[in-house]
Amino acid sequence: MQAEVEETLKRIQSHKGVMGTMVVNAEGIPIRTTLDNSTTVQYAGLLHQLTMKAKSTVRDIDPQNDLTFLRIRSKKHEIMVAPDKEYLLIVIQNPCE
Amino acid sequence: MATRAQPGPFRPAGSAGAEALATGGAASAGGPGRPGPLQDETLGVASVPSQWRGVQGIRRETMVDTGMSWRLLKNMDVWLPAVLATLKSCQTASIATAEASVQTRKHADAEVQTEVPAPVGARTVAQHDSPRLAAFLRRVEAMVIRELNKNWQSHAFDGFEVNWTEQQPTVTCLHTLGYPPAQGQGLHVTSVSWNTTGSVVACAYGRLDDGDWSTLKSFVCAWNLDRRGLNPQQPSAVVEVPSAVMCLAFHPTQPSHVAGGLYSGEVLVWDVSHPEDPLLWRTGLTDDTHTDPVYQVLWLPEPRHSHRFQVLSVATDGKVLLWQGGGAGQLQLTEGFALVVQQLPRNTKLKKPPRGETEVGATAVAFSGFDPSLFVLGTEGGFPLKCSLAAEEAALTRMPSSVPLRAPARFTFSPHGGPIYSVSCSPFHRNLFLSAGTDGHIHLYSMLQAQPLASLQLSHKYLFAVRWSPVRPLVFAAASGEGDVQLFDLRKSSQKPTVSIKQTQDDSPVYCLEFNRQQTQLLAAGDAKGTVKVWQLSTEFTEQGPREAEDLEQLAAEVAT
Repeated sequence: MQAEVEETLKRIQSHKGVMGTMVVNAEGIPIRTTLDNSTTVQYAGLLHQLTMKAKSTVRDIDPQNDLTFLRIRSKKHEIMVAPDKEYLLIVIQNPCE
Repeated sequence: MATRAQPGPFRPAGSAGAEALATGGAASAGGPGRPGPLQDETLGVASVPSQWRGVQGIRRETMVDTGMSWRLLKNMDVWLPAVLATLKSCQTASIATAEASVQTRKHADAEVQTEVPAPVGARTVAQHDSPRLAAFLRRVEAMVIRELNKNWQSHAFDGFEVNWTEQQPTVTCLHTLGYPPAQGQGLHVTSVSWNTTGSVVACAYGRLDDGDWSTLKSFVCAWNLDRRGLNPQQPSAVVEVPSAVMCLAFHPTQPSHVAGGLYSGEVLVWDVSHPEDPLLWRTGLTDDTHTDPVYQVLWLPEPRHSHRFQVLSVATDGKVLLWQGGGAGQLQLTEGFALVVQQLPRNTKLKKPPRGETEVGATAVAFSGFDPSLFVLGTEGGFPLKCSLAAEEAALTRMPSSVPLRAPARFTFSPHGGPIYSVSCSPFHRNLFLSAGTDGHIHLYSMLQAQPLASLQLSHKYLFAVRWSPVRPLVFAAASGEGDVQLFDLRKSSQKPTVSIKQTQDDSPVYCLEFNRQQTQLLAAGDAKGTVKVWQLSTEFTEQGPREAEDLEQLAAEVAT
């Protein structure tokens, strides 16, 4: 079980352009990360809040709908969030153009 | 005992009597045994503390109207029981009080400090549920990988840029500052510096052309640009200096301390917030002082106390000295380096120096932001030197010094065609630095090789200053002897400047320039006419493009193998 988790995270992390990967639980506490502490804590807190906001936005517009994926594109890189009931998977990728 | 006597028939106790009682009761509940003041009108002539056993333990003062007392006492057996019944029924609840004192008997000291939360993940937190985590990852992995792939190949955002700030299309001159007495003497602005808050710009007056300027009186002027009612011809602080000032540097954390190097070789530190007595420290003219003009001063953090700073000075006598502010306003020499021709690293073939000259004059210095002990020196011979503060080897010099002088040079770079006037290390890449010299060329060097990565001719006259932009990795500015400030954007063109700002009308040289690190759109430049112009740069020079850091990386990697 443990090995499977590590393998999956390693696969994602070794993908082209990925700068960092982290898994955050439902309270916004990081439980796995490949980045340093302060960056992880910052990303986890902020993205957890943003994901909750995005989810409630989607549900408010259409109660039958729900959030499946969140992507934030910035000047320097792209942040991808895969949400779930208990966890969030956050991947930061630097796409090459 | 009589309550307040009312003239006329005894009123039912329900109304006024009860209120009076209640007030009396409440008022005197201030504490056991303490009578409260009666708020209603008092009739009393005499006040007699009641000795009657008070109802439910509260003593009350009662007022007796002496005029009525005879009649009352006569009929006491009629009204007394009624009064007593009233008292019992409308008495306020007893207020129990007790005294207690509190004192800690034991105490312990403890210090509290927030700590960065303990590292988590990849690093596991014990209480999470591994099978559920694995199931979650299994669910999302495919989707995430698909998105990562799509992103990698996507051209959807090519060339897509968002403007969040108001676009400033051109470069404009915000302020033209000057000090008329200095300009009247024909003094040049030899150096400008912004202070740590970015709101004060100071300039040093002196002369940079040939001649003996040792007895020239000069000035250091500072303008506070954030102050309302800024008069460009009247600096907010002026310091008179007995000798021409060649260079200036504001303290990295103290907004009003500024260090300056003089033509006489002295180094002085002033506090511009005290105009009557600004001089804080000076080196004086001792054996340790430079014997030639000091061309650049810098503030460096002390090795062990990083909140305190020392002054580093370089001069054409070949010495690089570190000073510490000591007692009695004296700058003490803490460390020193001397450049001697025989000790220069021989990785580059240099022209043989004229006979008898052993010192290598240093004219410019820049520290790398990535390695605090590494610095680059620009020399009179035109070759930059990579030096280290940690060098151990003693310098073969006969110059007297209270502190042993060491030879700092580690690597010699390929020279310019003339003396170097300015060097600048890139704040974004550890290996890149620029140097500008009298041959009118800018060389972009990598620390890893002696030959420059690029050599750009900017001017047919001298180049006096070059500085990397603190926000755009690919942008730098150069001050030319033809009177203009040239801004280069290596992303747009590596051959010609993106913007060329004409500072002086009669082509007299621009001697110095500095970017403002706090307000990154400001650039100050000082010229030979004694004016300092503060330029506001267009937005393209202040906002980082999407791939700049990578492009810089690529540029640095063009090191010949």
